[in-house]
Amino acid sequence: MQQPSLLGQSITRIDARAKVTGQAHYPGDLTMPGMAHAKVLFARRPHARVRHIDISAALALPGVLGIFTGADVPNNEYGLVLFDAPVMVSELENGNLAAGNAQNLKLFDGIVRHIGEKMAIIVAETEKIAEHARSLIKINYEDLPAITDIHEAIKPDAPQLHPHYPGNVIQRYRVRRGDVEAAFAQADVIIEDTYWMGAQEHAYLQPEAGLAYIDETGRLTIQVAGQWTHEDQAQIAHALKLPLDQVRVIYPAIGGAFGGREDMSVQIVLCLAAQRLNRPVKIIWTREESMIGHHKRHPFWVHAKLGATKDGKLVAAKINGMSDAGPYNYTSNKVLGNFTGTCVGPYDIPNVAIDSAAVVTNNIPSGAFRGFGAPQGLFVAETQINKMAVALGIDPVELRRRNCWHDGTITPFNTPVPPGCSLNEVISACAENKKLEGAAPNASFSILNSKFAKGTGFACGHKNIGFSFGYPENSACTVELHGNSEIEQAIVSLAGADCGQGAHTAFLQIASEALSLPREKIELQLSDTSTSGSSGSASASRLTYMTAGAIVGAAKAALAKWQDEERPVKMHHVYRPRPTTQIHPQTGEGDPNITYAYIAQSAEVEVDIATGQVHVHNLVCADDVGRAVNPQQIVGQIEGAVSQGLGYAMLENFVTEGGYVKTAHFSTYLIPSVLDMPDRVQSIIIEHPDPTGTLGIRGMAELPLMIVAPAIVAAIHNATGVWVNELPVTPDRLRQALKKQH
Amino acid sequence: MSKKIQVSTTINGEPVEFLCESNQSLLEVLRDGLNMTGSKEGCNNGNCGACSVLMDGRLVNSCLVLGAECEDTKITTIEGIAPKEGLHPLQQKFLEHAALQCGICTPGFIVAAKALLDTNPHPTEHEVRYWLAGNLCRCTGYDKIIRAVLDTAGVSS
Ligand code: FES
Ligand code: FES
Repeated sequence: MQQPSLLGQSITRIDARAKVTGQAHYPGDLTMPGMAHAKVLFARRPHARVRHIDISAALALPGVLGIFTGADVPNNEYGLVLFDAPVMVSELENGNLAAGNAQNLKLFDGIVRHIGEKMAIIVAETEKIAEHARSLIKINYEDLPAITDIHEAIKPDAPQLHPHYPGNVIQRYRVRRGDVEAAFAQADVIIEDTYWMGAQEHAYLQPEAGLAYIDETGRLTIQVAGQWTHEDQAQIAHALKLPLDQVRVIYPAIGGAFGGREDMSVQIVLCLAAQRLNRPVKIIWTREESMIGHHKRHPFWVHAKLGATKDGKLVAAKINGMSDAGPYNYTSNKVLGNFTGTCVGPYDIPNVAIDSAAVVTNNIPSGAFRGFGAPQGLFVAETQINKMAVALGIDPVELRRRNCWHDGTITPFNTPVPPGCSLNEVISACAENKKLEGAAPNASFSILNSKFAKGTGFACGHKNIGFSFGYPENSACTVELHGNSEIEQAIVSLAGADCGQGAHTAFLQIASEALSLPREKIELQLSDTSTSGSSGSASASRLTYMTAGAIVGAAKAALAKWQDEERPVKMHHVYRPRPTTQIHPQTGEGDPNITYAYIAQSAEVEVDIATGQVHVHNLVCADDVGRAVNPQQIVGQIEGAVSQGLGYAMLENFVTEGGYVKTAHFSTYLIPSVLDMPDRVQSIIIEHPDPTGTLGIRGMAELPLMIVAPAIVAAIHNATGVWVNELPVTPDRLRQALKKQH
Repeated sequence: MSKKIQVSTTINGEPVEFLCESNQSLLEVLRDGLNMTGSKEGCNNGNCGACSVLMDGRLVNSCLVLGAECEDTKITTIEGIAPKEGLHPLQQKFLEHAALQCGICTPGFIVAAKALLDTNPHPTEHEVRYWLAGNLCRCTGYDKIIRAVLDTAGVSS
């Protein structure tokens, strides 16, 4: 008998019970007999030469078990895309590096390049002793001038900050389609402006933590929160010069990630300590350490020009954009690619010129954060088109309908939009939505006698699914079937990380569909490099899309063997979506993205003219998810992404000065509380199947964040007549803008 | 080493004695001393509410309470919310409404919501929102948490 599939049902997440009772174990909750405790010493200066590191006094402290520095790392380099950062900064001794490390001697030249650079890991019997010992380490630094402004960094006479990046540029993209200058000469209306978007901190509520030990088979093992078990494993093995199979990575419950756990934090140093001491070693970062110890969303400076005819046809777009990458690549080249692919929006524009660059500075490195360059690209694209709509006197929704992508529209990369483009449908669904009646006001501000102005704003956008620009995307799954006449048990093994987004529950639902089995008969083996192949990263809105391919592929292969009377069956499948390409360095021509997902939002705001305070009453979000694996969890993703987008738009001001962080606590770096939320977030789930993928599923988790800022900024303009070109739109910034105008 | 302080208290209905330093927080005592890791540390300075516990029925951030202050008090943590069998109604409603994602904030929200419903069994939405304003969640966007609490109280929203 055909079993009812779990696909499409709002089942309760499989980890929920443990989480509501406090039984779920996150890395910071783990303990082991004989466990030692570690602290990391950060450089806490933005740019300096390391003359000498003296650990003698710290080592002599009773209870200290070991102190490890860059000289102890067999291959002192790491990086998700390029190995361009030191695990810990070594001292410079007589012009030579401390013995034994780094394939690339020129790189690890004893230079601190940002305040979060690691200098040592200190292991002791207790955390308090480790902390005390840390304060006894003496480092002789020679401070160097810090470059923390991208415009300073690209000046021809600027100090060169990283030997790999001449001119202080990591990556440039250049896109040329048609003839922009000729098209601007013909355009009836031109919108030209400069934009600035600040950094954003992930602020997952669980700071970095981990427990490393030697497992029962003698393997170096770490339980940690990350986004890609097998990539963590590869980077640890690379730095410690170990064979891959001698490193095991396990993810227990993960307390949020949002891209912030995509690069290495505690993984390598903690493994080094456990290996050298042959003892379990645990570390927990404080909130402040987390704030300075991992990357941020890229700040971007952008100059944009958009031209249209008076009947509302976009004819030309020109972009000059620069991101602040910090001193190392992390994922800056990839983020820049996504910015480049989104900065003129999902519109049919025959003439496009884009120049973008990722610039090296002495700020904290920038890297992955939900949306991955698209929130920055789309803030510019969508604000430009909203300004154009006002200038043309055309309704912003109508202007989008006239210009938006359809299947086969030629993109700025001079290749067609992949099949399954539902943008027009998504725009309509959002625009035609009736406002929720009777929503209780949130009442977060009530200043007497002030003047309030109401307005609405609209935005839409697209996001590529998966790793792009020629990356060989893949995702693995193993399915084992046991039983006699009937399948009694299926064991489904895959690594994909559940960072809180509900991935593991989605895997169960997809497996139930693929195997026609009920929940009780499916056992999942998850997030452990020793039990499965790589799923790839929980990022880029790719995990559900890619793992669906892997699970369905492995299930099909296993069921075929089962039909052939094989008992038991064990089949492994690696899913590979259609390949993509790099883009041409001079023209930008190429086919860099597998497929896209689409989104539209409208925001209704009220502005307090006296204080510059903005309250969002209602936010409507229409999101094409292709096929809703679990509608309730999808709505949760939308609401959560909207709250992060709202923080990005209005609250989250990551302030640095000369490379030092001024907002390293939740008292100064404000993330939205319940009182900052819109009165209502209304989610509209659209299921327009993606023909490129599996079961019609599209990725979705990044999209609702990407366009909150342009929708709110348009609503503020609608209310007040003022455009704000800088994010976040703090009350302070808005008041300044209002003063200028009124 | 400073002299340790001996503290007698009641945690989740059980008498408990522990030794702590004079500067150790209740959160540290719970997590490191008593291995009760259900209460979470998100900030250690009173900004996030992940460490929420009840002290004589009052909602406190356990990172801001000293272990030594617990002498002769009754502490309730997330581990003591559920009955012997099954779940507390709040826990059940958090499941039904999908009011959690990563879940690191969840123990704090459930403890805080219990404190509210213990004194105000039928709060308005407005009251729930203001009461929970001291608990941060980075994942859910709060709406489902508010619904779960209101539903527990039998208040339709
Ligand atoms: S850990 Fe106590 S309030 Fe954040
Ligand atoms: S569910 Fe992750 S912080 Fe609330």
